Amino acid sequence: MRFTPTQLGDAELELQREVRAFLAQELPPGSHQPGLGMSARADRAFSAKMAERGWVGMSLPKQWGGSDRSAVDRFIVVEEMLRWGAPVGHHWVADRQTGNVILKFGTDEQRKRFLPAICRGELGFSIGMSEPDSGSDLASVSMRAERGDGGWIVNGTKIWTSGAHQNDWFICLLRTHPLEEGGSKHQGLSQMLVDLNSPGLDIGPIPFLNGEHHFNEVAFTDVFVPDENVVGEPGMGWNQNTAEMAYERGGPDRWLSPFSTVEQLLREVEGTEMEQRACELFGELTARWWALRNLSLSVARLIDEGEAPSVESALVKEMGTRFELEVIEKLVEFVDEELTPDADSLFHRLLAECVLTGPGNTIRGGTIEILRSVAAKGLEGLPA
Amino acid sequence: MNTVDPLITDTASRFFADTCTHDAIQRAEDMGGAPALWAAFAQTGFPWVSLPQECGGSGGTLVDALEILRLVGYYAAPVPAAETGMLGGWLLSQADLALPEGIVTVVPGNTRDTIALNTDGSVSGVAHMVPWGRSAEQLVFLDDQQVVSVNVTDAEVQPHPSLAGEPRDTLVFNRAPAQVGAAPDSVNAISFRLRGALSRVALMAGAIEKMSQLTVTYTNERHQFGRPVAKFQAVQQHLVWAAQDAALTRMAAEVAGLGAQDGDAAFEIASAKLVANQAATRATKAAHQAHGAMGMTQEYPLHHYSRRLWTWRSEYGGVQEWARWVGDLAVGQGADGLYPLIASGSSSG
Repeated sequence: MRFTPTQLGDAELELQREVRAFLAQELPPGSHQPGLGMSARADRAFSAKMAERGWVGMSLPKQWGGSDRSAVDRFIVVEEMLRWGAPVGHHWVADRQTGNVILKFGTDEQRKRFLPAICRGELGFSIGMSEPDSGSDLASVSMRAERGDGGWIVNGTKIWTSGAHQNDWFICLLRTHPLEEGGSKHQGLSQMLVDLNSPGLDIGPIPFLNGEHHFNEVAFTDVFVPDENVVGEPGMGWNQNTAEMAYERGGPDRWLSPFSTVEQLLREVEGTEMEQRACELFGELTARWWALRNLSLSVARLIDEGEAPSVESALVKEMGTRFELEVIEKLVEFVDEELTPDADSLFHRLLAECVLTGPGNTIRGGTIEILRSVAAKGLEGLPA
Repeated sequence: MNTVDPLITDTASRFFADTCTHDAIQRAEDMGGAPALWAAFAQTGFPWVSLPQECGGSGGTLVDALEILRLVGYYAAPVPAAETGMLGGWLLSQADLALPEGIVTVVPGNTRDTIALNTDGSVSGVAHMVPWGRSAEQLVFLDDQQVVSVNVTDAEVQPHPSLAGEPRDTLVFNRAPAQVGAAPDSVNAISFRLRGALSRVALMAGAIEKMSQLTVTYTNERHQFGRPVAKFQAVQQHLVWAAQDAALTRMAAEVAGLGAQDGDAAFEIASAKLVANQAATRATKAAHQAHGAMGMTQEYPLHHYSRRLWTWRSEYGGVQEWARWVGDLAVGQGADGLYPLIASGSSSG
């Protein structure tokens, strides 16, 4: 395991300038309510504008509508969007992972059908992994697909499905082959693309603790999924899903969630007597963000060098999401007064949202406990 | 990007692995120094890497010197490498003063220090927490824009140990003869403190990495309840946290080192020392907890690293000092400049 320092080259810095100029034009500070990193709201028009510039699905090949850009280029676009609190919710999942899964495991027909539309910022994807009885033990998923005429008949329930009420497609992990006595539960799983408008799908909200609607429960009753929507080899879904999870880890989305809140604090204390009181807090957070960003950037560079840095990604994600919670705790200690979600101060409103949604940061996309198991396995065999 | 010559890493690693055994480190602590080890180290020329050859240095870059310091930390080598090279040696060479053959040490800067240049050109006063003061040939410090060097044989030396049992002595001078050279503008109290901090960050990066590796090995060998303790989630948490802090500190050290090679890198060094200090606190806690009682013994080597980390984290600035430093820069950039500072550091706006 080795994280090697890397700097942005001239073309990469130019991209960074372009993205900053775009954001300053589209979302001037003060003109919009920033989102908390990847939890930012979905805005199809904004996604389309990013796509016009080639910033959605940008690492996908040109042949399929992408821009053949590197993981580092995508890192640059993503970090700027997230730190700005831009509304990236609509294309977020497709851009980060589903496009890659379809590229890697899908058929040419699937690539042709989905990838250009993803790169135009049109398709919003939800992820169907967890079920009521399968969370961290993901291989225990029990959603069943039975053979039908030209496809599969699916029954079961997916849960904690973010954005299913707004999105277009659903990439699901489910069981196509029965679990054999004494066999591995990693066998017999498949990934399928399910149209969220399919007959037999029932999408119901699971309100967040603050009443907001992000999560859904998606119940399948005899939902027909045609064969052409199965991704990869039926029965081999576990490995594909594991590869997909690697895309979820270690990127700026895992350490930038409270950044817009901290930036807003600085905006509100600038020139006041609070500025000096906040000085050490800004120092601590800035230093740690700088170091974390360098680690996270080095992971993107490793990906561009053809490596599969799964342990490194897990380490960064575990550390980054814990840091996000530490930031929120420090801000709360600094404020030391009542927080309300409808406060006059934008900083107070953002911090209230951080407090209410923060616990999810170390859970989503794999709990930090699971990440530690992944990382600890990778640490074995290190020299001493 | 300038990278380290791999030959330096290989050769220095081999040297330290052969010489800095558990017993040798312990003996150095008991004796208050390791003269034979130093002599062998000096033979390699490593202490003077990054100092120009025309001043008697070994040549090479600052990044090379920091790599050697990282390995000093990794092997807990009981040698004043930072003081002789990138701190004291640097001050001397910047003022065109000759490098002595022996150990050079510096006045790190303690609020109780009274050491100063007299109007007659001699030196009087007290310097505290001087690394390896008792073994040094010369003590070097900055007095305004002058580099001052005195022979330690002219001092009264009061020996004191650091938390790691390494010498941090008090040196008392009374009208000692001195060599004085003018320092360029870029050599001043601030740049010296930053350089001191950078030396500690490199040492800490090595020590945390070694401590993290020791912890992985130990917990995979130690069995309880019929399996290696590393298989328990509660223990895995310590392993992962120590490994993260090793990676974080090494990254901070290397990025700051690369920046310092081309500029003042004040933001990077200040941030790196702050991050390293906090990482040292977390990682020593995790490593000790995972080692249980064994880590509390002199017999097991964990303490070589943990005690050095506790020493280095408070040298050349603790968390508060650097938090204020970085905070001033951040507040100075303003809200719109905050992220550009994080992303581009000293080269941002």
